[in-house]
Amino acid sequence: MLHCEAVCKRYSAGQWILSDVDMTVSAGDVVAVVGTNGSGKSTLLKILAGLSQPTSGTVSGRPPTVGYVPDRFTAHERISAVSYLTHMGRIRGMSTAAARSRGGELLERLALVGGPTASLRTLSKGNAQKVALAQALLVRPGLLVLDEPWSGLDASAHGVLGDFIDEVAGQGGAVVFTDHREAITGTHATSAYAITDGRVVRRGGGHTEGPAPMVELTLTAPAAGAVPAQLDWYALPGVVDAARRGQGIVLRVTREHSDTVLMTALRNRWSVDAVARASHDRGSPTDARSVAP
Amino acid sequence: MISLVRYMFTVLLLSQRYLAPLLLFTGLTAVLTSSDTGPLAATYSAVAGVMLLCSAWLTIALIGLEDPAHRAIVVVTAGGHRRVLLGSVAAAAAWCLLLTAAGLALPMVFGSHTVRPVDLALGTEAQLISAFTGMAIGLVCSRLVFRRQGYALVAALVLLLAALLAKGVSPVNIMLTDLQHATDSADVLGSTGVLVAAAVLLLAVGTAVTHVITVRKS
Repeated sequence: MLHCEAVCKRYSAGQWILSDVDMTVSAGDVVAVVGTNGSGKSTLLKILAGLSQPTSGTVSGRPPTVGYVPDRFTAHERISAVSYLTHMGRIRGMSTAAARSRGGELLERLALVGGPTASLRTLSKGNAQKVALAQALLVRPGLLVLDEPWSGLDASAHGVLGDFIDEVAGQGGAVVFTDHREAITGTHATSAYAITDGRVVRRGGGHTEGPAPMVELTLTAPAAGAVPAQLDWYALPGVVDAARRGQGIVLRVTREHSDTVLMTALRNRWSVDAVARASHDRGSPTDARSVAP
Repeated sequence: MISLVRYMFTVLLLSQRYLAPLLLFTGLTAVLTSSDTGPLAATYSAVAGVMLLCSAWLTIALIGLEDPAHRAIVVVTAGGHRRVLLGSVAAAAAWCLLLTAAGLALPMVFGSHTVRPVDLALGTEAQLISAFTGMAIGLVCSRLVFRRQGYALVAALVLLLAALLAKGVSPVNIMLTDLQHATDSADVLGSTGVLVAAAVLLLAVGTAVTHVITVRKS
């Protein structure tokens, strides 16, 4: 379907951001693009979505309907979330009623705080990200391009996002997303590409070899009264999900990295309440609130 | 395309950034045409001069409203940079048509004139020449071309001055000279119509230049 051949990109006379990228995305694929900050992931996604032209090389077979979610959706507009989605739906050719009802339905699934009539400028980063996600799914996309979609979303929205990805792929669409956490890409993607120094290399996928084994770590504050340090759990290797449960934290970590994460937690004065093999559904623990990454 | 224009029109309306150019237009028109009893051709040439400034300002405001991430979403949703740029041009034109209507009516309110249809036709032509030229300047000085607002402001001022003062080259300058010396609107209606076509051409060139630069920068 979507095929990139010898794609190179640089801005003006600057250094090459992408060089000789060959990539194929077929219908039903969920492709992860992994790389460090500034490695060129967003540039590659913009080229795939048709936003940016490659300096050399060709991109062919892009489906007519593309959904794109940028990495940052800073909203200054006074327009309400549902009006914004209605406008976007109309631009995509939907009727006003259909766009409004589809927008409302998506915002309900994503549990937008403040409701569909909240003005975009009043939304927090995570809630604005939910609106950005909703606009990409107003009509069924043939290609869904997501730039770091998990960042800023709360734990329950993580599950909904996973469902959206599965739905698009199940209906014959292709999904390409980026994330710098390999644990997440391992859980959701059927294949993965890694970007280093502008070069893109194909890696083995997640689902194709079976999902990575997961461990659920339940951490609490020690009874002795020591105050554990607040950590950016998502920055640790292998952490897929971090949710607050009462005074404690429940982490879902790949088995490969669970020892390292446990060691880090103990060093930061956390006490271990339970360690268990986690199931693979993406649902978050009930009554859990997300821990902002 | 209508849905795209509707979205851009609404965003500008809700942002209230249209208010400053609108007030400037009304204020300057009031100052330039109050207690005026002379021929309407000269009156409308003054209004057209104000339109040049305000149409450029409105176009810059309209395009600068959305940050790059929002515009990227609109580009993917609408199916390309070209469609979104044409949508911006159409939305700016819709705002300028509102100003044109105001520009035709306000001199009647502030001064005393005997109006004939030919005067209104000439007034519309004069304001459209300025509106299209101003929009072309607004496009090439917008955020799509200039990332830094200071440079954009300087470029816009230089181009606006050139449009007003370039004798025999700028459609706006030729129109202003013709209208100020016209004793009857009917005498210059035809030649001003040709200048409207020249202004449309200028707008097309401005749009094409902006499109090429936008695609190169993206």
